[in-house]
Amino acid sequence: MNDLSEVSGRSPRRTIDVVRTSLVKRRQAEKRFQLYGLVSIILGLCFLVILFGSIIANGYTAFQQTSIGLDIHFDPELIDPEGRRNQSALMEADYDGLLKNALSSLFPDVKERQAKRALNGLISSGASYSLRDLVLAKPELLGKIERVWVSADDDVDMFVKGQSGRGGAEAERRLKDNQIAWIDKLEAEGHIKKSFNTAFFTSGDSREPESAGIWGAVMGSLFTLLVTLGLSLPIGMAAAVYLEEFASRNRWTDLIEVNINNLAAVPSIVFGLLGLAVFINFFGLPRSSPLVGGLVLSLMTLPVIIIAGRSALKAVPPSVREAALGVGASPMQMVFHHVLPLAVPGMMTGAIIGMARALGESAPLLMIGMVAFIVDIPQSVMEPSTVLPVQIYLWADSPERGFVERTSAAIMVLLVFLIFMNGLAVYLRKRYERRW
Amino acid sequence: MNSLMEFKTSVSHREPPRMKNREKTSEASFNREYAKTVGDITSPNPRIECRDVNVYYGDKHAIQDVSLDIGRNEVIALIGPSGCGKSTFIRCLNRMNDTIPACRVTGQIVLDGQDIYDGSLDVVPLRAQVGMVFQKPNPFPKTIFENVAYGPRIHGLASSKAELEEVVETSLRRAGLWDEVKDYMHHPGTSLSGGQQQRLCIARTIAVNPEVILMDEPCSALDPIATAKIEQLIDELRAHYTIAIVTHSMQQAARVSQRTAYFHLGRLIEVGETAQIFTNPRHQLTEDYITGRFG
Repeated sequence: MNDLSEVSGRSPRRTIDVVRTSLVKRRQAEKRFQLYGLVSIILGLCFLVILFGSIIANGYTAFQQTSIGLDIHFDPELIDPEGRRNQSALMEADYDGLLKNALSSLFPDVKERQAKRALNGLISSGASYSLRDLVLAKPELLGKIERVWVSADDDVDMFVKGQSGRGGAEAERRLKDNQIAWIDKLEAEGHIKKSFNTAFFTSGDSREPESAGIWGAVMGSLFTLLVTLGLSLPIGMAAAVYLEEFASRNRWTDLIEVNINNLAAVPSIVFGLLGLAVFINFFGLPRSSPLVGGLVLSLMTLPVIIIAGRSALKAVPPSVREAALGVGASPMQMVFHHVLPLAVPGMMTGAIIGMARALGESAPLLMIGMVAFIVDIPQSVMEPSTVLPVQIYLWADSPERGFVERTSAAIMVLLVFLIFMNGLAVYLRKRYERRW
Repeated sequence: MNSLMEFKTSVSHREPPRMKNREKTSEASFNREYAKTVGDITSPNPRIECRDVNVYYGDKHAIQDVSLDIGRNEVIALIGPSGCGKSTFIRCLNRMNDTIPACRVTGQIVLDGQDIYDGSLDVVPLRAQVGMVFQKPNPFPKTIFENVAYGPRIHGLASSKAELEEVVETSLRRAGLWDEVKDYMHHPGTSLSGGQQQRLCIARTIAVNPEVILMDEPCSALDPIATAKIEQLIDELRAHYTIAIVTHSMQQAARVSQRTAYFHLGRLIEVGETAQIFTNPRHQLTEDYITGRFG
């Protein structure tokens, strides 16, 4: 067999020589293939770097907020002229007046009305509320003069961070020349500082960028995820166990399996329509609540959990089941004492990945009304709320400069959550991987 | 061992079989008369009585009209070529074939006066009464202690922790594993060697105190030393339990059993005392198998 003289008609060549000549081409083909793989990985990494880089570059400035330090005289004559000294008096006081007084004491030569308005516009419109909260918390401030750091208006914030310049025509800028001059003076006298933007993490949505925060959306997401988890995990796991272990194999179960596989691929907005028609219209559940959102999302993640659960159960070797049955375990005992503990890591991984997908969904939640402008932080699953992806969508629509950086910052927060959840899935899978 | 010596000598002095009967070994001409069981299928004081057992895997007729008694406190070996149905038959005895959806069993298998294929019988206590050791050792992926303790616990055979530990120790001693694992009771069962795992499976089976132990080629995945240990164990277990063992090795059947049953293509061809089967088989097919004409 190692003599090819009859085949080629030339002088006899050994097979090994033929193999050696073809080896060059084979090695080249393999190297080419490796190169393609490397190029695609590098390309993927490049896109990843570009994506993360652009998000971080746009968003990191949102974690800082400019504040203006004002020496405020907590004049009792202005706050509580009738001398009532109770909660309602402190609530109703004119804190705007206090701020205006402080500003005018810093810039005494600003008299004209337009200019005064421009000067007061340097402070955020929500500053009076934070001042009120300060006085309510520390009523002993009445009569004193204290330096209070209040949030600057978002135009000032952008200017101080360098996002908007001082050049160009005055009519096309947000800040007028006199405002810029005042800001320069404040900065020179040390009245301006940039501090960590805690308001971003503690407050709800707002029309003003400097007061807008993600806490409302985060709480909404948390409640929604809780409802989703509470519904889809037990039902999904139980359905997977029943379909895999106890149901007989007939046409009906085949139909169910086909339907579950199809449902896993249905576009998510269809589930939103279902939620709108059935949960809100027919059952009358509160619109835009985490309850309805959770119901819709659990319908969406249920097929994923069932499919992952069934795969995990199928992967348990039949020898374990036979051993359990052989000792005299009933089918229920066999499943719950032996098969399920071995299948739980796979089920958990599938569940966590399903949850991560649910966390990032916005289309079905738009349909059930979570696209509304909600300011209050939701306290329960029945109150109207919004979720983080929808919040990002809403902010992306807003024109203010301040919202551009906040959108990216919110995206970063969402990505951190998703990376954490997926990391948790990988860790749990590695930790509980069984060798049988 | 005497019978083994006779077996060896008789093989070398046996005359070649006649051509006429050799044709009849093909499946097409395997008629009922030729396949009628030779030998005494009954046993005095039987533990299990099987009558007219037929097993179908879908359309395939795997076991055909098998009737056999399993005697009390004896070791009966089921031998035969690959695919002859011995594993299928033995799995019928504790209804393990129920786990196979396409499998259908007809006939009567009577244990303690009750047909185990009766619709009203609860399968769970049956499997506690008739235990099984499988071909490939399959300890639970739990600790050694848990492996043996699981059965007694679910059947409520031990009322306190001390009793459970006693049951575990007795079972492990009977299986000949106690000295090797007594310091490693909380190590996983899968960390043992193959032979130790199989002995652990035997300990697990005897922990529920069955009356019959079915063994489906228990030594086929083990080395000769482990095999010898388990064969010795089977001999010791005979005092307390009835054992039915399926084996591919005729020598093993000759070593451990008192009765032997030869299966061929789903039928029980011959059954009788082990010594007689291996030295003086009465059916041509048995003789052909034993002398190695087919395997």
